[in-house]
Amino acid sequence: MSAPWLDVLDDTIRACAAHNRPDLAERLRDKRARQLDPKLRVLVIGEPKQGKSQLVNAMVNAPVCAVGDDVTTTVPTFVQHAETPSAALVRGASIANTPTERIPVPIDELASQVSANHGSGGDLVRAEVGIPRALLDSGLVLIDTPGVGDLRPTHTASTFAALLQADAVLMVSDATAELTKSELELLKQVMTSCPNVIVVLTKIDIAAQWRRVLERNRAHLARAGVTAKLIPVSAALRLRAAKTGDKVLNAESGFPELLASVQQDIVAAADVLARRTVAVAAASAIKQLVTPVREELAARAAEGTENTIAALNEAQRRIDELRRRSARWQTVLADEMADLVSDIEYDLRDRTRKILREVDKTFETADPALGWDKFEAWLEDNLTEAATTNFAWLLDRSEWVAEKVAKNFPVARDDLLPESIFPDDVLDRVAPMDKPVIEKFNLMQKAFTGLKGSYGGVLMFGLATSLAGMPLINAISLGAGALFGGKSIMDESDQRLRRRQAAARAAAARHVDDFFIKFSKDCRDAARHIQRSLRNHFSTLAEELQETLLESARSARRAVQDDNSERERRNRDAKRELDHLVTLYQRVQTLAGGQTPALGISA
Amino acid sequence: MSSGMMPSGQASSGQASSGRMLSGMGVEDEVWALLDDALAVYRDSPRAVAWLRGHQARFGEPVRVAVAGAPRSGKSTVVSALIGEEFVPTGATTWYQDGPQAKAYVGQYEVPIARRDGKAFVDVPDAERVVVEWPSRSLRDLTLIDTPAGTPVEHVYGEADAVLYLTRHMHTTDLQYLQTAHDHPVARVAPVNTVLVLARADEIGGGRIDALSSAKQIARRYRREAAVAPLCQNVVSVAGLLAVAARTVRADEFTALAALASLARTELDEHLLSADRFVGDDFPVRLDPAVRRALVERFGIFGVRLTTTLIRQGFDTQVKLTGQLVQRSGLGELRDSIGIYFTERREVLKARAALLGLDVVLRAEPRPGSAGLAAALERILASAHEFRELRLLAALQGGRTRLPGELDAEASRLVGGLGTDPLVRLGMDYEPTEGELRHALLDTLGRWRDHSANPALDHGQRRAASVVVRSCEGMLTQLVG
Repeated sequence: MSAPWLDVLDDTIRACAAHNRPDLAERLRDKRARQLDPKLRVLVIGEPKQGKSQLVNAMVNAPVCAVGDDVTTTVPTFVQHAETPSAALVRGASIANTPTERIPVPIDELASQVSANHGSGGDLVRAEVGIPRALLDSGLVLIDTPGVGDLRPTHTASTFAALLQADAVLMVSDATAELTKSELELLKQVMTSCPNVIVVLTKIDIAAQWRRVLERNRAHLARAGVTAKLIPVSAALRLRAAKTGDKVLNAESGFPELLASVQQDIVAAADVLARRTVAVAAASAIKQLVTPVREELAARAAEGTENTIAALNEAQRRIDELRRRSARWQTVLADEMADLVSDIEYDLRDRTRKILREVDKTFETADPALGWDKFEAWLEDNLTEAATTNFAWLLDRSEWVAEKVAKNFPVARDDLLPESIFPDDVLDRVAPMDKPVIEKFNLMQKAFTGLKGSYGGVLMFGLATSLAGMPLINAISLGAGALFGGKSIMDESDQRLRRRQAAARAAAARHVDDFFIKFSKDCRDAARHIQRSLRNHFSTLAEELQETLLESARSARRAVQDDNSERERRNRDAKRELDHLVTLYQRVQTLAGGQTPALGISA
Repeated sequence: MSSGMMPSGQASSGQASSGRMLSGMGVEDEVWALLDDALAVYRDSPRAVAWLRGHQARFGEPVRVAVAGAPRSGKSTVVSALIGEEFVPTGATTWYQDGPQAKAYVGQYEVPIARRDGKAFVDVPDAERVVVEWPSRSLRDLTLIDTPAGTPVEHVYGEADAVLYLTRHMHTTDLQYLQTAHDHPVARVAPVNTVLVLARADEIGGGRIDALSSAKQIARRYRREAAVAPLCQNVVSVAGLLAVAARTVRADEFTALAALASLARTELDEHLLSADRFVGDDFPVRLDPAVRRALVERFGIFGVRLTTTLIRQGFDTQVKLTGQLVQRSGLGELRDSIGIYFTERREVLKARAALLGLDVVLRAEPRPGSAGLAAALERILASAHEFRELRLLAALQGGRTRLPGELDAEASRLVGGLGTDPLVRLGMDYEPTEGELRHALLDTLGRWRDHSANPALDHGQRRAASVVVRSCEGMLTQLVG
């Protein structure tokens, strides 16, 4: 039948594995292997120069560990039972790994071999000494360690590595001074991994005040909450007593008491010890397991749905936003296009009126019969220019309107503006102009070429009118007028001239008027066409956007629903895990006899 | 600057041996002038003015040496040993300075000095700082500050010009303390002011009779330890109890010790096995247990073992015994270290402390003029020859600069590693005539000039050599002047 502590330990190891903590499981497995090992490791630990090695020597009454006035112990030394005295050096990668090499050395050369090996930068991990002693017979192993807090950190590191393997600890502090802050720290640290500690006060032979130090140390330990026996000893007296066989001196050395304590508290209580050690190790492992589970529970309760709900709210907010903004961009488009059309029309009227005024002025004096061809070309050029400018302006303004609408669109996107604001067929709206009907003058033939629209920057425009026999006299502002300058109107009768002039003015006005009506209609059509295409473009975009948002809202809503059920399931799982861990912890507590602190949670 | 306040005048009257290195402006003059400039810049800030004036006043005082260390490391014992009078620790920061009569002050107020168990005792339970004036030759060029354990490192190093750091055994916490002390821009460029003391040497080796020579070896090892060497100028071991006893041993104690020494050695040894045995009943000599208890408390079990052995070996008068104890306890070596590293380097330590103080002001109250002051401060730190000597010394001790063969030790000696007296620097162990001295100096100077231009050496080594050359030139001007 296996010991109860073994079951608890195995369960804890399983729990560690289940919670994805192979590191903890590994550590506990180590502990388990060591507990099953009949050897009982007692670690002698303390700051440098407190008399650790001498303590070990005095316990076994043999100079097995090197002692010296300066830092001496550089590797842990394992002192254990053997039929014949023997010693060996163990080399290896590290303490935890299996030793790779074991070199037997004569026992009296051990100390020099250790220092020689260390001096050459060897990878020595420990020294082993075997001697026949009743004390060690039961499987007790005394481990002398390098001092903690020494200037060479490698020494300290090997001590802590050895600590992990210890079943019990003798903490050594000398009687010339009270426990220091760093010693108390060390002691607390030791307690966490090995709770079975005896504090040994050494060198009481040279400290006249050792009784006061003992009392003070008791107080220090009580204040630090450390429950450990405090035993004053003198290794010097013990070794001398061994040499002379002086029983009284041996009693004075304090060692009988220490050895009795070791026998009673460590060797005899091996099972209790095992339970206590296991309890501490298991408790610390379970605590580590519980924390993430508990945090997960707490976190999920608090923040679990928050994200999904936030996502849902965001999606809905954005849909509302889109709706609100859609109304706005449509209004903007309609308003702007209306403004555009009226502005364009005004502009065109303004331009044609300027041309007509020019024509009137010219024919007040000039004779249409002269240079009509040139006048016709001039009129054509001017109307073309007016139309071109006007139409270009329409295009500019439409582009600007498109940008303004885009600005009022709910989302910012790179492809928000259509590639071209102008539908391909916008120019088809501008039809060739009909040839105007102008009454005939004698001598002349009238011919109008219609107004023809062709865009891409150029508006073609044709006009052909001949007013034969009309002399042209005015050259005030027109290039055409200048050409007539030299001719006189004297050779024509005044009356005929006036009639010709009126006819020419009427013909020009009619032509311009026709042009205006036709062209402004074309412009309006083009504008409406642009408006329609812009509206289509933006509506499509808006629809796409809305669909995306609706979809994300739908998925968010789904997520909230899914999340609820998933969360409940996870919660149930986590609660069950937590319950399991808590039960396990209670078992650990029973094992330790209520020595471990409560876990601080309820099942 | 009024010439009456010049610190160099006071310095040269106090110390004949530590002459100025250079004929030009010494570092202390430069620092004094810089403090004057700072006073002008900060004349409207009463706090800064008081602080700076305090640092100027410090120039005239003896070197302040703080004794610091972990609890129970033997601080008060070492202070008592240095002064030659046993003081009960007050629990407060206690300043011991020279005075015509024994007096103690807390702030303005004089407090009585009592006697308790033969020890001087100032009973001021709540005071933060006690000043004790004590007529002692040791305090003539030295002010000792006994700091309670746990005093923040900045306070210790801020108040003091130099520090004796005490430890039983070098522990990582001690190392951290010293590293903190050196973690300051000014402290880094002028690493000069700490001597490490292994203060309870008598406890080494379980109080074996040869504990002290063993302690000396350990001290020697620490001097070479890479982690320790850059943080202190020297490591010495002192058996504190023995050192105090050496300076304060009384006739009745000597009689008692002599009576013990009259016993057969084996018989006495039996009773000296442990302190308990020594004060126990059944003692072969008629010595009252109270007397024995007093002896073991004053001398330690090791002290009783050593003194009785010494008396037996023929140091059988109080004077002879005292001489032996001073030497053996390591007190002599400690005094020498204080002399070489602290009192002889008084000017440079004072200058360093003043620069640290000025640095505090410049950081705490920056203002338009302070940038110029900071630049001047940095210039002094970088260029003053005294600091360069110290930096080279630290580099040589810490192994950052290495010179080939014998040169390493010689360079260290020439820049004042063993003492700043020219004879010590030149390594002359006899009193030379002026001609001999001049000859030796010119010879050394010539050799080091060659080294400073030797293409076989690397840049750092040549620079080190040129610092040595400058030191030699300094000695030469001193010789001429």
